[in-house]
Amino acid sequence: MFYFLRKIGNSLLLIIGVTLLSFVLMVWFGPDRTFGLLGKNPSQEQIEQVRRQLGYDRPFAERYLDYLGALATLELGYSDSSGEAVRAVLARTIPVTLALVLPGFLLGNLLAIVLAMLAAWHRGRALDRVITGLSVAGMSLSFLVIIIGLQALLCTPYGVNLFPVRGWQVDGFGSYFYYAFVPTLSLVIVSLGYNTRFYRAVFVEEAQREHIRTARAFGASPLTIMTRHVLANSMAPLITRVLFSIPLVIVSGSLLIETYFGIPGVGRTTFEAITNGDQPVLKAVVALTAVSFVVVQLLADFLYRLFDPRIEQAVADGGGAAV
Amino acid sequence: MNAALAVRNLTVRFPGDPGVLAVDGVSLDIARGEVVGLVGESGCGKTATANAIMRLLEPSCITADSIRLGERELIALDERQFRRLRGRDISMVFQEPLTSLDPVLTVGSQVRAVIVRHGLARGKAAREAAADALRRMGLSDIHHLMGRYPHQLSGGMRQRIVIAMAMACSPAVLIADEPTTALDVTTQAQVLDELLRLGRDNGTAILLITHDLGVAARICGRIIVMREGKFVESAPTEQLFARPAHPYTVELIRAVPRVDQKPAEAPPPAGDSLLRLEGRRVSHPLRVAGKRRRLVAVKDVSLEIRRGEILGLVGESGCGKSTLAQSLVGLKPADGGSMYFDGRQVTGGQAAAWSRVRRQVQLVFQDPRASLSPRRSVGQSLIEPLDHFGIDTRTGRQARVAQALHRVGLEAALAFRYPHELSGGQRQRVALARALISEPDLIVADEPLSSLDVSVQARIIRLLLELRREMGFAVLLVSHDLAVIRQLADRVAVMYLGRIVESAPADALFENPAHPYTRALLSAVPGRAAGKPGGPLAGSEPPSLLTPPPGCVFHTRCPEAMNRCSRIDPPEFRVDHAVEPLSAHRVHCLLHENTH
Amino acid sequence: MSASVAAAPAARAFRGIGRDRWGLLGLVIVTIFFLLAAGVWLGWLGQDWARAVGGRWEPAGTEHWFGTNLLGQDIFQRAVYSARTAFEIGLVVALATTVLGAAFGALAGWRAFSWVDDVALWVKGVLDSVPFYLFVAALAYAMQGRAFAMHIAMILTFWTPTARLLRAEVMRLKAQDFVKSAQAIGLPAWRIVLRHVLPNTVHILLVQGTLVFVAAIKTEVILSFLGLGVQDGVSWGLMLAESTQEVIAGHFGNFLAASGFLFTFLLGLNLLSDALQDALDPTMTRRRGRMIKAPA
Repeated sequence: MFYFLRKIGNSLLLIIGVTLLSFVLMVWFGPDRTFGLLGKNPSQEQIEQVRRQLGYDRPFAERYLDYLGALATLELGYSDSSGEAVRAVLARTIPVTLALVLPGFLLGNLLAIVLAMLAAWHRGRALDRVITGLSVAGMSLSFLVIIIGLQALLCTPYGVNLFPVRGWQVDGFGSYFYYAFVPTLSLVIVSLGYNTRFYRAVFVEEAQREHIRTARAFGASPLTIMTRHVLANSMAPLITRVLFSIPLVIVSGSLLIETYFGIPGVGRTTFEAITNGDQPVLKAVVALTAVSFVVVQLLADFLYRLFDPRIEQAVADGGGAAV
Repeated sequence: MNAALAVRNLTVRFPGDPGVLAVDGVSLDIARGEVVGLVGESGCGKTATANAIMRLLEPSCITADSIRLGERELIALDERQFRRLRGRDISMVFQEPLTSLDPVLTVGSQVRAVIVRHGLARGKAAREAAADALRRMGLSDIHHLMGRYPHQLSGGMRQRIVIAMAMACSPAVLIADEPTTALDVTTQAQVLDELLRLGRDNGTAILLITHDLGVAARICGRIIVMREGKFVESAPTEQLFARPAHPYTVELIRAVPRVDQKPAEAPPPAGDSLLRLEGRRVSHPLRVAGKRRRLVAVKDVSLEIRRGEILGLVGESGCGKSTLAQSLVGLKPADGGSMYFDGRQVTGGQAAAWSRVRRQVQLVFQDPRASLSPRRSVGQSLIEPLDHFGIDTRTGRQARVAQALHRVGLEAALAFRYPHELSGGQRQRVALARALISEPDLIVADEPLSSLDVSVQARIIRLLLELRREMGFAVLLVSHDLAVIRQLADRVAVMYLGRIVESAPADALFENPAHPYTRALLSAVPGRAAGKPGGPLAGSEPPSLLTPPPGCVFHTRCPEAMNRCSRIDPPEFRVDHAVEPLSAHRVHCLLHENTH
Repeated sequence: MSASVAAAPAARAFRGIGRDRWGLLGLVIVTIFFLLAAGVWLGWLGQDWARAVGGRWEPAGTEHWFGTNLLGQDIFQRAVYSARTAFEIGLVVALATTVLGAAFGALAGWRAFSWVDDVALWVKGVLDSVPFYLFVAALAYAMQGRAFAMHIAMILTFWTPTARLLRAEVMRLKAQDFVKSAQAIGLPAWRIVLRHVLPNTVHILLVQGTLVFVAAIKTEVILSFLGLGVQDGVSWGLMLAESTQEVIAGHFGNFLAASGFLFTFLLGLNLLSDALQDALDPTMTRRRGRMIKAPA
């Protein structure tokens, strides 16, 4: 019980921290929109009026608390550039991003786990070397290079020209596949290298533990060892890795892909908001990221306890934040 | 000629730039039901031999003329066929009970897995068979036990479970690689006896691998001595000890400290009181299952060390002796009682008193690998105390470093080496040199010999005694090894669950142990004369420090406990009539209430 | 007796890499790029990157190895100059994050489970949660478009993994006997950390440093593409940004040059990082009796 209260307390502190930092960034470093809204030669009165409208004259603390209040009630305001309700913007764009990013993300991780198990199983031999080598090569490719390269290969007459250069008109599985294929493929390729390396290291380390030796001594087959013993015992780092890369992928990862392929998701909206200085949208995105980070942490904690019976008896409770 | 296991000319070579010849053409026979010990120091190849027989190494490393399991020729089998044998016809048990079992699976499922895998039973029958295997090992409360996870059990329990798993399919041969090394002395004795019994009941041939001759002597009918990849001698146990043939065996036997052997020389007379503890208490906070509790590691300890004497502090793991040792230099803060150093009281706030203690009391730790900073050379580690305490001039310090190294039998040139370049024995000498370099009054040594080979141990024991004679420092020697204590200590104090239960001059304690726990410890020590199986503590587990038993903490396991023992925490009683208070034989046990 | 503390890891590093073919290749590649960057910095190479030396989009040939771009600039010269940009960013970010990460990590690790640790973990959590691009943009605006916005943003967000690793390692080292020995003679905490603990973390810091180097370069590429990165000068990222339209029209010079240089450099860094990790890991002592895990 006490444990959960502590967790929630930590989460709240985190949200406060993130929103505070972002608010500071936006208020003090964001563009001053006063003059954008006024015409030429504004009078002092008009300036004052606009400033009051935008809320620039109120003290910082007040504005921050207002912000928090608004977030809590999901009163997200209206976009500065398009005038659309931010809530509607998010409702429109988040599903698109998820539909775009999730398959690639899941596929990338699953494939990496399988490859990593193969590499760890055949450790030191040909297959391992090939997989590791390809992983290192994959890690050395810039996301941008992958995207441009794939685009050249698959979307232009210089290559195969099967898929569109950009766009997103999805109204069924066929069109979904048509528009999502190249972005998904690039997502998979960019993460495969890093993930395979990481999982391989985790499996190799786990495979060297004493209880694996016991399993072998009692006649377990390599397949049983890899799946029942190594994989099961590696769940902690695996969960950490998969869960904690989700917020990253959804906001930051989608930014590049959507901007490049012209897909109307959260990432592209964020980017446009950054370049246009669209504060309401930015505030909402920041809050979204903070909340998803917190949710991920709680989910991770829950899953750790599910998979590892030792966590139940955690003695000398530590700070709570997963490493 | 129907041996359970017959090995001919086994060689194990590890690949590498020079490569390593771990096992050099060894042969052995074990008959059905026989218990054979394979004894040698670390690195001699005994584990490699076992792993080779079980084919747990890369097959290209192993060559042999023949390895027969009963009628079957093992080297003719391919991996898949061999795998079927593992755990069913030939089993192996390893040293580390902590990590030998899969942490995320219950005990029951792991035992069941072995049974199911080898086709002995399925489904519910398998569960029954698993329960049966555990029962045969002498375990109780089986159904509850099967649902538990390894980390919830003690080391002794885990090892028993692994052994039960190994015997579940009634194998013809069981190889046990240092199965009890990581266990307490009392638990060790129990597990060894249980192993012997199981082997006899099932007719299993057992190959017991150990570095400890005493352990082998306890249950083995025949002992093979191994050195640098070769078997140097093989003989029935009695004969090996009575008339050892090979010089290495002689050396090995002589190096093993014996509990029943008095030290050669009498200790020099001790000086006046140097360190005194009165009612010392050390505890620290702990959060268990979300609640804050206090763990009392050391409770109401009073002891005294005189100048120049060696006080042995004995107890099993978890009894608080290390905590007590560390509290002497302030590494663990005490929260009760008082400490007097050189006549003056040392309390929490007084920086001056503490800095005197830190100057005159130096520590030596158990694991030489971890007690020297890996990134600092030997010389840098040695000079640090001199620099910190401001002893001598800069050039004077260099000279002292060289002198310190000489004193412990090492060359001065070693100062430029790094710890990872030295052997275990050398590192421990360096640790000793560092403790002595500031010429302290007292050395606190926490298990300084436990991770060393027997022959190296013997040399360090001699070194320590010589240095004590020369330099006159006192020693608080903390150890679980009674034999080592016998060789070194002038006086001994026995600890159990954070309390001192008995203290006496060494001779008095070993010849006339008063407390039942001391008696149990002594009978459990693997000695030449094998202890009686089923010693006084058979089958009992030590209680947790979090919930010590009421009254006398030992009463739950005491074979001589009376009703009053569960209500009264026994005060100190005298066992003898000696006049001098410091040579007194004292015990905290109600059995001795009327004897003074 | 004045053997420097860093001698042991450096010597082991070189010996280890020498034995590892791929590591050697990595080292060679990185050295070549270092020489290129130095050459540019000293004014010997790549000086013609801004001048229009040829026609528009001239194909690759003997005069211009990768051809020219839209403005007639020699692509090859630009790629070489970009090596300097990359090195500068990588070095600055890697060094700064190492220092910052080591300081925070050691502090949090030494005072583990105390309020200091909690605060440090909170700071790390907060910084991890802020969307990176937002951070960069805000800083860029705050610094009125001065060049270092990108560097600072990267430094402030990349130090957290290093700090986490350091924290874990310091916690582990603190429990070791040699630290207890130092405490027992009364050495003050700061001296123990500086003299005993941190030197034993050098292997982690070095490997993390190379990883951050790689991450910095990759991030710069994306930032420059988005217009938030390098403002003056040229970088592979800017070249790639140029190439996005060109590729569709069939001009591959920019793309090939930039991606080729980038890939080679990153590959070299990754190989070097791997080799360092294997060579420096103190737990990977040459174990003789190690059981090989793979089945027959």
